[in-house]
Amino acid sequence: MNGQADHDAWVELSDLPTGQRVELSNSQGQHWTGTVVPRHDFSGDRVLQLKLESGYNIGVHIEPTFRFRLLGPVGAGAAPPTRPAARAATDGGDPWIALLTTGGTIASRVDYETGGVRPVKEEREILDFFPELESSGRVRIVPVFDRLSEDLVPDDWRVLAEKVVATFAAGARGVVVAHGTDTLGFTAAALSFLLVDLPGPVVLVGAQRSPDRPSSDGSSNLRAAVEVAHDSRIGEVVVVMHGGPSDDRFAIHRGTWVRKMHSSRRDAFRSRNGAPLGVVEGGKVLLHLPVRPPSKGPARMDGPIDTHAALLWFYPGLAPERASRFVEGCRGVVLAGTGLGHVGADHLPWIRAATERGVVVAMTTQCLEGNVEPYVYSTGRELLRAGVLYLGDLLPETAYAKMLWALGHAPDAAGVGRLLTQDRAGEYHDRHDSRDTA
Amino acid sequence: MKAGLEVHQQLAVGKLFCACPAELTETVTDSFARSLRAAGGESGTVDVAAALQASRGLLYRYEAGPSSCLVEMDEEPPHPLNEEALDTALTLALLLHAHPVDEVEVMRKIVVDGSNTTGFQRTALIAVDGELELGGRRYSIPTICLEEDAARKIRESPGEVTYRLDRLGIPLVEVATGPEIVSGQEAREVAEEIGALLRATKRARRGIGTVREDVNVSIEGGHRIEVKGVQELRMIQEYVEREAARQKLLLEVRDELRRRNAGVPPVDPLDVTELFRAIVSGPFSGAGRGGQVVLALGLTGFAGLLRSPPRSEERLGRELADQARSVGLRGLVHSDELPAYGVSEAIVAALRDRLSSGEMDAFVLVTDHTRERARAALNRVARRARAAVEGIPGETRDPLPDGRTRYSRPLPGRDRMYPETDIPPIAIRADRLDRLRAQLPERPAELEARLARSHGIPIEVVQQIVYGDLLEPFEQLASRGHAPGLVARLLTQDLPAVPRAGPDAPLFEPSLDTLSAMLAAIEAGRLAKEGVPSILAALASGASTVEVAIERAGLSGFSRDDLVSLIRRVVQANSAMVRTRGDAAFSPLMGDVMREVRGRRDGQEISETLRAEIARVRAESGS
Repeated sequence: MNGQADHDAWVELSDLPTGQRVELSNSQGQHWTGTVVPRHDFSGDRVLQLKLESGYNIGVHIEPTFRFRLLGPVGAGAAPPTRPAARAATDGGDPWIALLTTGGTIASRVDYETGGVRPVKEEREILDFFPELESSGRVRIVPVFDRLSEDLVPDDWRVLAEKVVATFAAGARGVVVAHGTDTLGFTAAALSFLLVDLPGPVVLVGAQRSPDRPSSDGSSNLRAAVEVAHDSRIGEVVVVMHGGPSDDRFAIHRGTWVRKMHSSRRDAFRSRNGAPLGVVEGGKVLLHLPVRPPSKGPARMDGPIDTHAALLWFYPGLAPERASRFVEGCRGVVLAGTGLGHVGADHLPWIRAATERGVVVAMTTQCLEGNVEPYVYSTGRELLRAGVLYLGDLLPETAYAKMLWALGHAPDAAGVGRLLTQDRAGEYHDRHDSRDTA
Repeated sequence: MKAGLEVHQQLAVGKLFCACPAELTETVTDSFARSLRAAGGESGTVDVAAALQASRGLLYRYEAGPSSCLVEMDEEPPHPLNEEALDTALTLALLLHAHPVDEVEVMRKIVVDGSNTTGFQRTALIAVDGELELGGRRYSIPTICLEEDAARKIRESPGEVTYRLDRLGIPLVEVATGPEIVSGQEAREVAEEIGALLRATKRARRGIGTVREDVNVSIEGGHRIEVKGVQELRMIQEYVEREAARQKLLLEVRDELRRRNAGVPPVDPLDVTELFRAIVSGPFSGAGRGGQVVLALGLTGFAGLLRSPPRSEERLGRELADQARSVGLRGLVHSDELPAYGVSEAIVAALRDRLSSGEMDAFVLVTDHTRERARAALNRVARRARAAVEGIPGETRDPLPDGRTRYSRPLPGRDRMYPETDIPPIAIRADRLDRLRAQLPERPAELEARLARSHGIPIEVVQQIVYGDLLEPFEQLASRGHAPGLVARLLTQDLPAVPRAGPDAPLFEPSLDTLSAMLAAIEAGRLAKEGVPSILAALASGASTVEVAIERAGLSGFSRDDLVSLIRRVVQANSAMVRTRGDAAFSPLMGDVMREVRGRRDGQEISETLRAEIARVRAESGS
């Protein structure tokens, strides 16, 4: 047995590879037999994690006087996954859908020997996992990034847009983009402004539950997204996610209208200021509102974007000097004001100074629904006189994405302003139906 | 015989991973539907497509109620582990001399039947290597776990199963014993002792379905069988004994089958529908009316071994029938029971001819609307019959109300578990264990001794209170000042003896206030303790208060004076007997008086008064 009196067992135990079977004992005669598994991030000091014969993991605090014995060769662990058969080349005429991946995990395998969760990245493996995706036609997987969505930056939107254009050029009839849910709304809005003359749908989709779980919503969301991507009536950017807690209904949201409104629910994504464009139910795509039709193409990216912009959420206690410093160097600022589009009166001076300098300052509401209106209260009128543009019922995030696009397309504040207030991708609602609720 | 137990006890500390109350409900406020992908992430060898096929099309419907939350709907990550539940599990570990782990890791255990909205059960190993001492024997307690209970199955129809979320997330403490139990009686005693220890923590949930036991039974030469989900503790002994008897019979059958070189020929089942077309009643009448097929399977060498041997209730035939039931058929008919069911000798002869079945051979018949289902049933029957020649196949069985068990499914393979990364590991520190040790509840034996001593009640009665789960009402009523002996008798004898209004009538569960009022009436002299059964019966049939019950039972209005005049009258009417028999007249006269008084006066008072009257009369008459 290893472990001399003056030897600290932890030194060697902490170095054992995952899958090594080991027998431990302490000075009170207690023993444990198990397999070393990867250390948990939040495990304590000198704690060895073992998987016992029963399958349960436990943490054992290793005193220096522990003794241990290695058992057998390092666990064979999982057999390597069987290689899926090679896929036949796509027949020329068959319509195909592209699935662009930006990071996060679409599918994963759990190794119950170690408890490790391994993401499945290879196209053939992914499609073997979801054979139903190809029920209406072939799917080709195109990796674009491998990043968490909270790590994406506006330049990534531009790269993604270019990839979408290239994919349509290669013959895809529709494009699905698998995306982390955290900033999916931003990307959807940005792509709505960047992409023109789309010959088919661009469908963003994500998952609220991790793919290792049997209850993951990712697979059903993906299937619904692919159905929408096949739909020849649609020529715009949409988001498809669960429309409720059940797995039988998926909402189709216009990319500029949608926002993640819950941190964890499957139906977190909601269209604001009106209903979704439609639903996928029973495998069928049902459209309830007019959609932008496909164009003859070719798809184009209408760049560039200018990232010298800021999104500022107003709140009581925000010092005007802080706000003014925050927007230094920006050509455009989107404010998320209170109510009908207000900020404290003490912010008027820096706002006026900015607009006089040629900075485009635009107003949205942090209520996340309803129009901003400058004429109703004096604060709004003051802000209007100070040169602030009021952007109707645009979400703050959508206005920010549009600002980046508009700043790249006009050299002066007036030009930018015109582009902002003019509907480009169906982002404004001209009416708010009495039957629509949040 | 060897048996082991796994006791699952629900705790009354709120749910394990959310702040919802642990309450079952009949109110459904909402429902939603999900499908679960069984192949949520198998490593390596699993055929993903096959697993997908298996889960395809099966819809799980979940019912939410007034206390359901987003965690139970799998719409929100779990909250941190309920600390009170963990304390309870650790307390139990200390009571059982088990070693708590240094760090608790919550695991996800994959479940495939839809009973958890996440597709897995959260479970954690809390302590290992404990020991239970009972009646001079030692039983090992290898593991104590803490886990969440599953959603409640409400109904099932083709392609859809409905569960209710109310039970999902209720904490369960699971105590497993080693296979050291050697009799049904021992199994019951060990289960009772573990139950008493769990209740000693004062955190156990009460009521039907709050405790479930899984029992593993094997006999020498046999195989481990798991009887899963026993809810009535008092039936454990019967399940264990019957299971041992069943296995014993199966081994005898195996030996005979081997002697006969028995087997199941590897041929397809035979379609014999036309032989049954003339049958007009019984299970095979469908073949006559059309629409049902009848298939037959030959079992070489099985003749006489499908029915029960003399003096036994077990039989191989039932095991084969349960296999047919497991695919949805009503059962099967085997040759040992024929002729019967409208199947005449002539048909039997024709079948034997078709199957080339000799005197030592048997056959089974199934009938169904669907040929595929009938074939699937016979495939399972064939497999089970072949296994009968090997011995006893390991399996999981369901407990039935009559003490039998029925095949449920194969023994599960190793549990598929991986870490629940949404919950960080929980270090079990020395100061926590010190705190729990300092407030360790009394063990049942200590508790019994204390109660017997302080209340002056016999130990057997105290044991009934402790093991009959009557401790709380007993202590509550005793603390209100009622005589402990009276309370004990009320709870252990009088209440259980109240006859049920009908087989489906709700259980009579009077409130503590009602019982206290009744005891107060006795103490005030308005009711004799002999009248308790009548009062309880009146309350059980709807009397709203004790006073109303006293009226209804006709036990009111019998004063001391009334008693004295009655006794005078009775003694007077029997003066001749009193003269001739003297003191021996007491017994028959006591009977007469008691019949009249009917529990309205205290028995001791009656007996003293009667004796006094008899003595007085004798003195007067000088006899």
